[in-house]
Amino acid sequence: MDGLDLQFMIDILPDMLLAAWVTVKLSVLTIIFSVALGVVLASWKLLGGKLAGGLIQAFVEFTRGVPQLVQISIIYFALPRVGLTLDEFWTGVTALTFVGAGYAVEIIRGAVDSLDKGQRENALALGLSEMQALFLVLYPQAVRRVLPPLTNELANVIKASALLSVISVNELTKVANDLIFEYFVVIEVLIELTVLYIVIIGSLLWVSRILEKRTRA
Amino acid sequence: MIKVFPKLLPPLWVTIEVSAISLVLAMMIGLSCGTARAFLTRRNPLVWVMDAYVGLVRCTPIIVQIYAAYLLLPKTGIRLDVFWVGVIALTFNSAGYQIEIARAAVQSIDKGQGEAAAALGLRWWHAVRLVILPQAIKRMIPAVTNEMSHLIKASAVLSVITLFELHKAANSLQATSFKFVELLTLQALLYLPLILGASRIARYLETDVFGFEGKRDAQGTR
Repeated sequence: MDGLDLQFMIDILPDMLLAAWVTVKLSVLTIIFSVALGVVLASWKLLGGKLAGGLIQAFVEFTRGVPQLVQISIIYFALPRVGLTLDEFWTGVTALTFVGAGYAVEIIRGAVDSLDKGQRENALALGLSEMQALFLVLYPQAVRRVLPPLTNELANVIKASALLSVISVNELTKVANDLIFEYFVVIEVLIELTVLYIVIIGSLLWVSRILEKRTRA
Repeated sequence: MIKVFPKLLPPLWVTIEVSAISLVLAMMIGLSCGTARAFLTRRNPLVWVMDAYVGLVRCTPIIVQIYAAYLLLPKTGIRLDVFWVGVIALTFNSAGYQIEIARAAVQSIDKGQGEAAAALGLRWWHAVRLVILPQAIKRMIPAVTNEMSHLIKASAVLSVITLFELHKAANSLQATSFKFVELLTLQALLYLPLILGASRIARYLETDVFGFEGKRDAQGTR
C-alpha cells in the first residue's frame, strides 16, 4: 500500500455525494413518517382500551426485539405479497418507518408519562375530554422532552439506512460497496464513506445540541 | 417450518457465540478505557485518541464498520476466519459505546467518595478498585445489558460478510426453498426469545442482584 489515490477519491466524489443525498432524503422521510405513525399509535395506546394497548405493545416489542436487518427483509418480501409493489427507495422508506415507529411510540409515551399527573387531572377537571387533554395540554409540554431522544433516533435511522444496501437501495453504503468491487480500491472508498457519514451525523448532533439549548432557555 | 427448524439451531448458536464473545471483550475494553478516560485530564493525548475513536464508532453505521473490518484486515496481513472478523467488528463497535457508558458511570460517582478514600489513606489504585468501581459498575448494569441486546441484533448484519449465523442461514434456505414468509417468521420467533431473554436477565440483575430501589416504578408500565 503506497499512499492514497487522491485523484480517485476526487473522481468518485460526485457519485458519493449523490448517494449521500439519497441517504439524507431516505432518513428525513423516514423520521417524518415514523413520528407521524408514532403519534397515532401512542395516542391510540394512551386513549384506547386494553386490546389496542396490548396490540401496540406487541408491535413495539417486535420492532425492538427483532434485528433491523430481519425487519427490512420481512418488509422487502412481504410488501409484494400483499400486492404493494414499490420501487427500492419507497420499500426502504417503508421498512425504516416500520422499524422507527416502534421506537417513536416508546419515546412519545415515555415523555407523556414523565409529565406531572396533575396536568391531565387538571385538564379533565376543567372539562376537557381525554383527547383534548392529550393534544392540547400534554403533547405541547411533551415536545420539549421528546426532542433529545428523537434526534438520537434520527441518528439511528441514518445508520440503519445503511442496512438498506442489502435490498439494493442505492444509498451511500451500497454505492460505496459497488465502487469497491468495481475498482478493487478499498481504503480510499472506505475513508470517503466514513467521512461522509461523520459529516451527516455529526452535523445532525450539532444541530440537536443547539436545539436543546434553545428549548431549555 | 418444522422441517427446517433443526437446521436453524446451529446458526442460532453461532449468533449467540459471536455476540457473547464480543460482549465480554468489549466490556473489558470499555471498563478499562472508560475508567481511564474518566480520570485523565483533558489535555492528555490518550483522551484525544479515545474521543476520536468513540466519535468514529458512534457516527458510522455498523454495516460500514463490518465491511471495513472484512476488507481492511487482510490488507494489513491479518488473515482470520469470518467468525473472528465478525467478533472483531462487533467488539470494535460495542467497545466505543461501552467506553462512554463506563466513563459516564465513573464520573457520576460523587467526588467525595474518591476524596474520602484518599483521606483514609487508600492509594489511588485501591480507591478506584475498592471504592469507586463497585459503585460505578452497579450504575453501568442497565446500559451494558442494553448493549447485550444491541449486539445480538447487530450480529444479524454479519450475514453480509457471509458469516453463517441465524439470518444468513435463513437467507440461504430461502434462496433454495423459496419459503420466504415461513423462514422470516421463524427467524423473528428465534430472535425474539433471545432478546426478550436478554432483557429478562437485565431486569434480574438490576432488581435482585444489585437491588435497584424503585427500579420497577422507574421502568414504567412494563
